[in-house]
Amino acid sequence: MLNQTAKGVRIEGKKAMSKHDGLQEYLNPQVVYIPLIQQTETLKRLVEVGQEVKIGQVVATREGWGPIPVHASVSGKVSAIKKVWHASGKMVDAIEIQNDGKQTLAETIRPEADVASLTKEQLVEKMKLAGLSGLGGAGFPTFVKYQSKLPIDTIIINAVECEPYITGDYMMIVKYPEKVLKGLSYLMRAAGATKGYIAFKAYNTAMKEALAPFLSAYPGIMLSEVKDVYPAGWEKYLVQHILKKNYQGLPSEAGVIINNAQTAIVFADMVEHNIPLIARAITITGEGIKEPKNFLVPIGTQVKELVAKCGGYAEGLDPAKSHYIAGGPMTGRAILIDELIVNDTLGSVIVKPMPLEKDHPACMGCGKCADACPAFLTPTEIQKAAERKDLELIRKLKATKCVGCGLCSYVCPSHIEIADFVDKAKVLLKKGA
Amino acid sequence: MARFAAGKAPFLRIADQPKQGTAVIMRDFMIGMLPVILFAWYKNGIQVYMDGNIGLLEMFYPLVFVVLGGVFSTLLETIFFLVTDPNAKTMKSLKQKLGTSFAAIPGLILALMLPLYTPIWVLLFGCFFASIVAKMLFGGFGNNLFNPALLGYLAVGFTMSGVINAAGGLFNQSELLIDAYAGATPLGLLARLKVLDYDLLVKPYGSLWNFFLGTIPGALGETSALALLLAYIWLSVRKVIRWYTPVIYIGTVFVVSWGLGIASGEAGLWFPMYSILSGGLFFGAVLMATEPVTTPKNPFGKVLFMLFLGVLTVLFRFIGNFPEGVGTAIIAMNIFTLPLDKFAAVVRAEGYRKAAFWKSVAIGAFILAIAVYAIFKGATMYAAFAAGGLF
Repeated sequence: MLNQTAKGVRIEGKKAMSKHDGLQEYLNPQVVYIPLIQQTETLKRLVEVGQEVKIGQVVATREGWGPIPVHASVSGKVSAIKKVWHASGKMVDAIEIQNDGKQTLAETIRPEADVASLTKEQLVEKMKLAGLSGLGGAGFPTFVKYQSKLPIDTIIINAVECEPYITGDYMMIVKYPEKVLKGLSYLMRAAGATKGYIAFKAYNTAMKEALAPFLSAYPGIMLSEVKDVYPAGWEKYLVQHILKKNYQGLPSEAGVIINNAQTAIVFADMVEHNIPLIARAITITGEGIKEPKNFLVPIGTQVKELVAKCGGYAEGLDPAKSHYIAGGPMTGRAILIDELIVNDTLGSVIVKPMPLEKDHPACMGCGKCADACPAFLTPTEIQKAAERKDLELIRKLKATKCVGCGLCSYVCPSHIEIADFVDKAKVLLKKGA
Repeated sequence: MARFAAGKAPFLRIADQPKQGTAVIMRDFMIGMLPVILFAWYKNGIQVYMDGNIGLLEMFYPLVFVVLGGVFSTLLETIFFLVTDPNAKTMKSLKQKLGTSFAAIPGLILALMLPLYTPIWVLLFGCFFASIVAKMLFGGFGNNLFNPALLGYLAVGFTMSGVINAAGGLFNQSELLIDAYAGATPLGLLARLKVLDYDLLVKPYGSLWNFFLGTIPGALGETSALALLLAYIWLSVRKVIRWYTPVIYIGTVFVVSWGLGIASGEAGLWFPMYSILSGGLFFGAVLMATEPVTTPKNPFGKVLFMLFLGVLTVLFRFIGNFPEGVGTAIIAMNIFTLPLDKFAAVVRAEGYRKAAFWKSVAIGAFILAIAVYAIFKGATMYAAFAAGGLF
């Protein structure tokens, strides 16, 4: 009880359905939409309608907190500024680029002459120029982590993919194992870290087999298997279980930086070839998709094209009785996916039939939500405090420590939207503060 | 093709899976009560029939009595819904309401807590208190402050104990014939004699082994620690209750009783064993102090709750007016469930550090103070003979 190490809950993975076909490259969609938003920051557009752009050309910049550039992901002509559906559940402005199919590269994309002599500062600068953000789903600008004043000795590459259904990271690592290791070694150099871990779930033996042959060339890098539980991919879970350390706010307090596996791959490309963040892997899956697949696509690709490449929706799928989810099944959002575009944080789209309706009794106070909470909160109390709008109590109950993993709602035997109540409490705090 | 955007994350729920959800938990709870019900039937029906002291039809009476408790509670809730809820007029909606209210449970538990020869109308009276007053008037399933069955039990105990005794009380037809029982349950005997002596307290009922098996006089479902142990194992394995909650409760009673024995001059281990095996402690610890609605929700709250229950049970039982203290202790602690929940949630969120740590220490000291008071007050009330003792 006194030992607050997150335990996690075993959830059926359902990953097999999208592991058949490997990673499909789909790098030349007719048209892409570069969304003018990252996390909650609106981007400043730098191109006009009618302008020609090349792959890797900066088309917008993120200003304010964590400024990074955003690049064109195909070459062609800017044809319009349009509203599109974004994974955050909002309609946002996006730069529409008609692909000319020529894949002309920007002048900045060229092999780096002398990778070995790049300094720490140069590496962090490259991170920034690459427009690199956390590809695991948070979209946190990567270079910000590397500007930490605290001493960093360990980098952990998060390849856990603890949410069910998703297999994008897995596919990328199996296909590009050496790039992951290279990326990690550059990240270690950028932070001055001596140790590197690649964390993945123990059952992913294919990942281990892909990485193992290259390991000997990268001293200081170790593979680390974690349990098949959710949320084993949570940063704090990894630090607690791999390093047996704990921290309050950010992992850097424990001398650790955690990056997603795809982030490392993109960084390897950036360091060696100056290719910025223009593409990512996405899993189109779920019982409602005919042939679930993983794709490597340019940022801004329309999801409906990918769904069509998967053979469309499963036969007999009732659109009114299905969930269309942007992101993972635990933290994603219900969305109109026909209009959705791929952005830097979108790792999966899941279509699945809604479960059958049941009658659910009121909360009986079983406390399973409190038992499951990886942050050791008591969601029912936070809910009560939120209903009374008792800000002082919400603060005392540390609602801000909630990581939004959704486990409390997942385990609730009465199907109560308890995670949603905790979200509301967090919103109340923000408003009140 | 227009498609809907509906639903909230997470899109996977245990409650949606087949054979999961609150209804299944409550079903498991009722299955957990089975060994207790069956033992009550065996001891007060089958065994007595085999002794030749009652007829074949009467053999079924204990079972009928328990089932009647469930039936009464269901009927009362049905009437309550019909009278108060405009949405429950059709058969279908009524069934839905009752299906998510688990109406039978308070009556079943109440029946198990009552003596065998409780008049049926007294059972109905108790069920009314349990289902209507303690449960429905508080807002129905999930909103009750007090354990419904327990409130019904206390209502009956305070108002009807004379009626029950006049109607035959808790001795079945076989037990009536045993002179050694002297018309009392083990705890009743202790309250009368005020002496801690193995020969006087345990010998009349055979041995502590009989206490464990449950072949001693007492309320219908309370006597058998064995049946309740089976229930405990089932409920823990099915995760209906937390395995540690009854252990802490019973463990605390054991330790404080032992202290009380030692302070009174009786250091034998038989006394704490006698203390935990007699009365309704196992019943209360397994089936009532674990009841989710009226007890704290997070683990730290549960632990505090159980420690309090332990010391209060000893205090009420050995120092207070009535021979038994389990029911009163649980009802008394039900009142503190809400503040304890809040307190425990804050302490847990802070990681058991800072100011909350000292508050926890203060509460711990308070629990300890009650225990120490019970022990030393007990020492002035009870005498022990040096002779005798199993251990």
